[in-house]
Amino acid sequence: MGRLVAFLGTTAVLLAGLAALNWWIDPFGEFWKPAAVQAARAARPQCLVSHEIIGGEYLPFKLDVFHSRPTRAFVTGSSRVLKIGAWPGERSFANLGMPVMSPEIVLQELRDLPAGRRETMYLGVEAWWLNQNFKGFDVSPGFEQQARYLLSRSAFDESVRIIRAAPYVLLHRWRKEQVGPSCVVGRSRPALAWRLDGSRVWSFELDPHTYHPAIDPFTTDLSKLRTGIYNGWTRLSPERIHTLEQVLALARARGWNVVGFTPPDGDRYLRFFAANPVIGPRWRAFGALMPRLFARYGYRWLDFRNARSIPCRQSDFVDGGYHTNAACSMRMRRRLDAAARSAH
Amino acid sequence: MLFNSFVFLFVFLPIVVVAYFAIPQHRARLVLIVVASYVFYAYAKWWFVLLMAASTLVGFVGGQLVERRRSKLTLGITVALLLALLGAFKYAAFVGGNLTSFVGVITAQGFPGFHAFLNGIVLPIGISFYTFEGISYTVDVYRGDLHAERDPLRYAFFISFFPHLIAGPIVRYGILRPQLLAKHRFDADRVRAGLLLFALGLAKKTLVADSFATWVNRYLDDPSSLHAFEAWAAIVGFGFQIYFDFSAYSDMALGLARIFGIELPWNFNRPYRAASPIEFWRRWHVTLSTWLRDYLYIPLGGNRKGERRRDANLLATMGLGGLWHGASLNFVVWGLYQGVMLLATHHLRKRAWRIPAALAVAITFAVVMFGWVFFRLHSAAAIRHAVSAMFLLNGLGQIPGHLVLLIVIATGYTMVVPEEWTWNVRGFGYLRVATVGVLMAVAVSSIYTSHPFIYFRF
Repeated sequence: MGRLVAFLGTTAVLLAGLAALNWWIDPFGEFWKPAAVQAARAARPQCLVSHEIIGGEYLPFKLDVFHSRPTRAFVTGSSRVLKIGAWPGERSFANLGMPVMSPEIVLQELRDLPAGRRETMYLGVEAWWLNQNFKGFDVSPGFEQQARYLLSRSAFDESVRIIRAAPYVLLHRWRKEQVGPSCVVGRSRPALAWRLDGSRVWSFELDPHTYHPAIDPFTTDLSKLRTGIYNGWTRLSPERIHTLEQVLALARARGWNVVGFTPPDGDRYLRFFAANPVIGPRWRAFGALMPRLFARYGYRWLDFRNARSIPCRQSDFVDGGYHTNAACSMRMRRRLDAAARSAH
Repeated sequence: MLFNSFVFLFVFLPIVVVAYFAIPQHRARLVLIVVASYVFYAYAKWWFVLLMAASTLVGFVGGQLVERRRSKLTLGITVALLLALLGAFKYAAFVGGNLTSFVGVITAQGFPGFHAFLNGIVLPIGISFYTFEGISYTVDVYRGDLHAERDPLRYAFFISFFPHLIAGPIVRYGILRPQLLAKHRFDADRVRAGLLLFALGLAKKTLVADSFATWVNRYLDDPSSLHAFEAWAAIVGFGFQIYFDFSAYSDMALGLARIFGIELPWNFNRPYRAASPIEFWRRWHVTLSTWLRDYLYIPLGGNRKGERRRDANLLATMGLGGLWHGASLNFVVWGLYQGVMLLATHHLRKRAWRIPAALAVAITFAVVMFGWVFFRLHSAAAIRHAVSAMFLLNGLGQIPGHLVLLIVIATGYTMVVPEEWTWNVRGFGYLRVATVGVLMAVAVSSIYTSHPFIYFRF
């Protein structure tokens, strides 16, 4: 019996130690750390929050952004809306978008928002959301997923790397760092960062001397193009359209004002999408469906797919999908604001 | 449910083990294991249990009828029904796909709807294993080697017992039945021995087999880019990967069963030490090779009807054995290749060829390793690329250092250290027990990035 206990005890102690270390360091940001965001908010001037701290905890972070501000208008959608931020000094606007978002996550996010307040929502809808093969980010990992993470060797390896790079993390899970001109609450590698209105700051915007944008090479291989989000797209998914309808119905039931839009693409991609035999027909069907869908609920739709309509320059795009020029994003915001006002 | 999953390790197994020994009645324990095994199986897809239940019913009722009537017709119908499930879910897509392609060539029709239907058929994991167990049971009853089981609970236990359900070992009822009659008291030494063997298996899987998998996949995912050194290293690496992967699963199965007081038959005994292909098959997936011998090769006539008939029987047995692994022509080719190697050994022995033992091991090793090309690569083009590279048609290329180092270590280890299931884990002292505990912790921490067991897809 003693040796049985020795075996189980050795295993249990080692795994418990591993889990404790991975939880404390949280190398891939799987646990929500509200105190870090609070520290960034309490700083004067306010700090940015490094992506290392937020990790995959987009939903609690975005809900926290919403609740910490007197939000009256917000934008939500995929990573391509994350540059749309508040005007300088504006506290009533929040960006609730998330990377790898899907209609299901939008619906979950809206259900988590309070129903009693009148809001204006700018909903950025992506064409690939209607590809049945596209799967959104898992914003609510279950117990098993968390256990796997806490007990994973790859997380442990990364924890050790972080400890070696920034030994203070053994005592403090984050600290304020000066990166270029900005204060960032982060850890060993503050790169991508989040403003407290929920919008995103690119690493090369944070410090142009240190970080550089990662540019995906243009490819016509649909299994590789933008991580395969258009791959196997055979029809506009009825399930996803239904989920979008649920989103719009919920917004209408709450008395919200909604403006729908789709973010812009670079010219090269526009030409490719229009001509591609897989994407082309769905691309056009998407463009025809969305105004009708939004109009059915009494909402407006702005088609920004052609960047010239905003207008944004081709040089504003990092990789043909993401535009990096803040002025381009804010011009889009201005168009959305105008559409929202005209709907009142 | 997978052995290398958190839900199995931290929820399913502890609950079942504690409940098993907490229940005093033997029969209630059998019920517990059967129910737990069905839950274990349903975790993949709920409707899989319907198939297993149907297979259990056919085998149980068929066994009774076979014993009562002793007719070949009853046996044939029972075996046909058992095989029908396997055929429908494992081979329908293969046969139907090839047939429609053939008809399509003649009629210039594509039959896309039928192809889509065939492609939608899901292979229930473990069905190949429990089908063979049901067949061996009914044939043993027919031969009079075994009395038909009157207790459906014990028969259901035999088919569904979760340690061997998904990927074997292929158990014969004659081995299991006496163990089911005895009530097993909680024995800390036996439970510890089972857990240690399970831990060693898990470590072998996650630390050794998966290390090979990472490197092997890197090369074999694109065989067209291979050169001679890389191709040989990748194929030999795959030989070690599949060995460590499957023998790890077998060790885990043996260890789990031992916790409940059940000893399952062993499957592997350092096969790469074999000095001939015949010996290899006495060391590799032994419960399958003996099954094929007893229920296919011997009924076909074995070696009793002359040399030519023996050769034909051997090729047929190995070809079908290859097909058992998967509904794909490459597995048939692999089986036939193994059959040809067995024939060659028989004919060389007849001519009284003698070569030094070390050379015989080396030749067998090379022959077996080369055969894995047909097992690992599924398309003719991929096989052609790999074989071309192995025979220097693409040049020598660079030596893949990491993979070669792994191969050298694995070769040395398997040549020197005996198979893990033979270790006297019951006699391990505190230091060794704690060492295995450390290995277990490291293995568990590696599950996150672990590859699926190769034999799960069969």
